[in-house]
Amino acid sequence: MNIDFSRIEPYIPFMLEGIWVTLLFTLLSLIFGLIWGTCLTLMKISTIKPLRWFADFYTSIFRGTPLLLQLFIIYFSTPQLLQYDISPLMAGVLAFGLNSSAYISEIMRAGINAIDKGQREAAMSLGVNYSTMMLFVILPQAFKNILPALVNEMITLLKESSLVSVIGVQELLRRANIVTSQIYVTFEPLIFTGIIYYVIVMILAILARLLERRMRVSEA
Amino acid sequence: MKPNKAIEIKNLTKKFKHLTVLDGIDASIDQGEVIAIIGPSGSGKSTLLRCINLLEMPTSGEIWFKENEITSPKVNLTTVRQKMGMVFQHFHLFPHMTVLANLTFAPIKAKKLSKEDAEEKGLALLKRVGLEDKAKVYPGSLSGGQKQRVAIARALAMEPEIMLFDEPTSALDPEMVKEVLDVIKDLAKTGMTLAIVTHEMNFAREVADRIWFIDKGKIVEDTDPAEFFKQPKTERAKQFLDKIL
Ligand SMILES: Nc1ncnc2c1ncn2[C@@H]1O[C@H](COP(=O)(O)OP(=O)(O)O)[C@@H](O)[C@H]1O
Ligand SMILES: [Mg+2]
Repeated sequence: MNIDFSRIEPYIPFMLEGIWVTLLFTLLSLIFGLIWGTCLTLMKISTIKPLRWFADFYTSIFRGTPLLLQLFIIYFSTPQLLQYDISPLMAGVLAFGLNSSAYISEIMRAGINAIDKGQREAAMSLGVNYSTMMLFVILPQAFKNILPALVNEMITLLKESSLVSVIGVQELLRRANIVTSQIYVTFEPLIFTGIIYYVIVMILAILARLLERRMRVSEA
Repeated sequence: MKPNKAIEIKNLTKKFKHLTVLDGIDASIDQGEVIAIIGPSGSGKSTLLRCINLLEMPTSGEIWFKENEITSPKVNLTTVRQKMGMVFQHFHLFPHMTVLANLTFAPIKAKKLSKEDAEEKGLALLKRVGLEDKAKVYPGSLSGGQKQRVAIARALAMEPEIMLFDEPTSALDPEMVKEVLDVIKDLAKTGMTLAIVTHEMNFAREVADRIWFIDKGKIVEDTDPAEFFKQPKTERAKQFLDKIL
C-alpha cells in the first residue's frame, strides 16, 4: 500500500480554507431556507386554501426530485431563461435554500401541530391577536420542539453542500479534487476532507445538545 | 328597575357538521350574577361557554354582551375577548413563560400596559390567589391547584367584566379542589359576573345565584339553586342528580 499524508502537506492551508466556504454556503442556504420555510409554514397552516395548495405543491416538487437536478436547472438554465449569468455560489444557495425550505416547512408544520391547541385558545381567550399569539406563544414552543430536527437539517445541508463542487464552488470537496489534479493522488486529500466534514458535524451535534439542555433547564 | 344584563343569548344553535350540540338556547346573565352550569357529559356545556367568548362561532342565533351584539360579523373578536376571562379545565398556562410573565403577557401585548404597571398588577393578583412567592418560577414546577390559581389570576389580569370557568376543578387531585373553589368564591363576593361549568354540586348550591341544567343542547332548567337541588322540575334533572349525588 502506498499511503503518505506528507504529500498533501503543502496543500493543507488551501484545503482548510474550504471550511469557510462550506460553512458560509451552508449558513446562507440555511438562513434562506428558514426564512422561506417559515413563509411556507404560515401558508400551510393558514385558512386560505390556495395558499395551502401552493405550499403543499411546492413541497412535493422539491422533495420529489433530486437536489442535484434542481441545482443544475438553476445553474445551467438561468442564463438561458433570464439572460443572467448566475454565479455558482448564488445558484447553489438558491437551489439549497429553495430545497431545504420544503423540508424545514414540514418540520415546522409538525412542530406547530404538536403544540396543544389549548395554548392557542388560552391566548385567544385573553384577547391577543393572531400574530402576537403565533410569535410569542406558539412559535417559541414549537421552535424548542423542532430544534433537534433543524440541527439535523443543517447537518444534512452541510454534507450535501459537497454537491455544489460539481458546478465549481470551491468548497471542501472541490478543493480535494483540485489537490488530486495537482499531485495525482486521490486517497489522502479525500480522507483528509472526510475528517474535516466529520469534525464539523460532530461539533454541530454537540453544540445542539448543549443548547437543548440549556433550554430544558430554563423551564425546570 | 331591571338589573342590567351582562350576557343575553337568543335562540343560539351550534352544529358541528350534522351534530346539533346547542339547540335553541335562550338565556341571560345579569351583571354580578353567578351562574352554575351543570349537566351530563357531552350535553354542550363547554360549547355554550366557548360560544359566549366566541372561541366557537355559533351556527345561528345571537349573543349580546351588554349593549353589543357580539355575534354580528362586524365585531372585533379580539376586543370582545379582552373583556371576558376564560379558565380551562386543563389550565393551559404558557409553559415557556414564568408565572408572572403569564400574567403580564396579555396586558402588555393587548392592552399596551407598560411592563412595570403590568408587573405591579400581576404581583397584586398573585398575592390575591396566594401565590406571590411563585412569581419567578415556571408553571412546570407548580401543583395542579397552583396552576389553576395562576390561570385565574392570568384571566383577571385583563380586568374582564365576566369570567367563564369550564370545569376548573375537574383535572385536580381532590385535596386541591378547595383552594381553587375558595378563589372563585372570593371572586363571586367581589360582584364579578361568573359562569361556571362544574360538577361540584355543593359549591354550586352555595355560591350560584342560578343553575342552568343543560341536557342534549338545551337548557332544560333555569332556576334557583335551593329549588333545583330540593326538587328538580324535570325527570332528566332528577336522574342526573340521583346519579351524581
Ligand atoms: N370541535 C368539535 N367538533 C365536533 N364535535 C364537537 C366539537 N366540540 C364538541 N363536540 C361535540 O359536541 C358535544 C358537546 O360537547 P361539549 O360542549 O364539550 O359537552 P360538555 O362540555 O357538556 O361535556 C359532544 O358530543 C362533543 O363530541
Ligand atoms: Mg366540557
